[in-house]
Amino acid sequence: MDNTNVVDNQFLETKLNISAKRTETLFRILFMIMAALLILPVLIILTTLVVKGGSMLSWDFLFSDPVNGMTEGGIFPALLGTVWLVGVALIISVPVGVAAALYLSEYAPDNWFTRAINLAIINLAGVPSIVHALFGVGAFVIFFGFGTSILAASMTLAVMTLPVVIVATRESLQAVPQAFREACWNMGATRWQTIRRVILPNSVSGILTGVILEVSRTTGETAPIMFTGAAFFIPVLPESVFDQTMALSLHLFVVSTQVPHVPEALPYGVALVLIMMVLLMNSASIALRMHLRGKKKW
Amino acid sequence: MKPGRIVLLSMATAITLSSQNLAANTLIQNKGSDTLVNVAQAWAETYPSVNPEVAVAVSGGGSGTGIAAMINGTVDIANASRQMKKKELKKAKESGQDPVEHVVGFDALAVFIHKDNPAKELSFNQLGKIFGRGGDFTKWSDLGLSVPGCGSDKIVVVSRQNNSGTYAYFKKAVLKSAAKAGIIVKGSFRQGTLDMHGSKDVVDLVEKTPCAIGYSGLAYATDHLKLVCISKNDGDSCISPSVTTASDRSYPIARPLFMYTNGKPVGAIKGYLDWIHSVAGQCILKNKGYAPVHDVTCP
Repeated sequence: MDNTNVVDNQFLETKLNISAKRTETLFRILFMIMAALLILPVLIILTTLVVKGGSMLSWDFLFSDPVNGMTEGGIFPALLGTVWLVGVALIISVPVGVAAALYLSEYAPDNWFTRAINLAIINLAGVPSIVHALFGVGAFVIFFGFGTSILAASMTLAVMTLPVVIVATRESLQAVPQAFREACWNMGATRWQTIRRVILPNSVSGILTGVILEVSRTTGETAPIMFTGAAFFIPVLPESVFDQTMALSLHLFVVSTQVPHVPEALPYGVALVLIMMVLLMNSASIALRMHLRGKKKW
Repeated sequence: MKPGRIVLLSMATAITLSSQNLAANTLIQNKGSDTLVNVAQAWAETYPSVNPEVAVAVSGGGSGTGIAAMINGTVDIANASRQMKKKELKKAKESGQDPVEHVVGFDALAVFIHKDNPAKELSFNQLGKIFGRGGDFTKWSDLGLSVPGCGSDKIVVVSRQNNSGTYAYFKKAVLKSAAKAGIIVKGSFRQGTLDMHGSKDVVDLVEKTPCAIGYSGLAYATDHLKLVCISKNDGDSCISPSVTTASDRSYPIARPLFMYTNGKPVGAIKGYLDWIHSVAGQCILKNKGYAPVHDVTCP
């Protein structure tokens, strides 16, 4: 009897092995394709925009006023308006959001009140942007009497993006090891001293993530600003938060659906600038975040 | 500097800037009709060269949006491509507003079909049968036409959202008239129309859809569409929509375009409206494809 054959056979693949392996490969490839598909829309959108709108890009396009019924000229008032809207929204929502997250993470006891706040945050995050827009009209434009202004629009945006800031901040606060806090308290530090000297410096990268997300979302939002502060056209640049302004997202909507006889490349150009603005801000914040993360000692 | 102080500083700066600014410049809020929005924009774009002290902020949204804003007092001038209804006037009075009407131009409401559609002219009664509830015409063959590229033969009826002044005027002028003639039972739109949110959307859709028929202001017409010649009564000779036929009121669906102010206009608003009615203002309107309120010779 030949023993070697028996031993070899033990290591040969049975039919069951082979089919299991095949299934394995099949699923791996399938999942990989699905994951790769995620890149596809991004690629398609970017390529389309660059191909169709790339020719529009120039300093002149970015920094001059629209002329001739907004079918020619640049987008400066809209660009500047978006910076105003996003900036003021950040000034409002970041302090409020971070403070709320600090309370929830560092001070709040687990009782019905805290649970109610958490529930409110979750629900606030689920409210569609158009509902925020109508809320903004009722609350900020009419009730508080801000009129259609940057202030009213930015406050609407701030309310809308608060949940993002709160959740991201809270999560990064909670990522700071509990031992850090306990060590501080044992040294006789108060909660505020602990937050100020230990928790915040260690969680700033996570808080920045929340801010990044907010900026990206705010830049592109159209509905909440449409009725509260953004105009179809305005020949002057905003000088204060009580002025109305044009905005890039609304301008894109306007030139692609409202104005007749617009050259085809124009809307694509506006969209490209909008996307580039978001990407630029995101990359800057991501770079900053990585820099801060590199300093982390744990 | 600490971040908190930067926040405070920027807020303080903003408030300081704003108080200076409110005194220096006059801003006129102008909102409403999508039909008028592009000419309103052209006026606002040119006006700073006439009077640099006054800036006009223009928003669209539809005649209904403008009128609603006039009622709750958030605009200085509301644009509308239809008159305010009695109910709206009453509501405005109740909230302390006193809307005063100004006709700033005329607009031919054009009926569009696809370029390949062989139809040339339609009467009010035929339009009633196509657009009206209970109308007989649901297929192009009902009109004795065969439309190339329209395999289903079904008429795709394109209309507007119901707060549009264009929607309201078409309903009043064409459908009510057809209902009076007994062609359709009620003067309302048929169900299953595609209601577009803006004149440009109507034009874009009809350009691409061989089966479609739609309507909107003449200013939105493009070379890729066919404009239907319209007759008021069956058998009348039809009139094609143009700035000329809208100006001499021979085109049957020409409508006035309105601006509403709160009370008799004074100051900057009066200056702006006077300029709109001047030759310079009316020429801007004419160049955009609307008919001026009085005869003007434009460069």
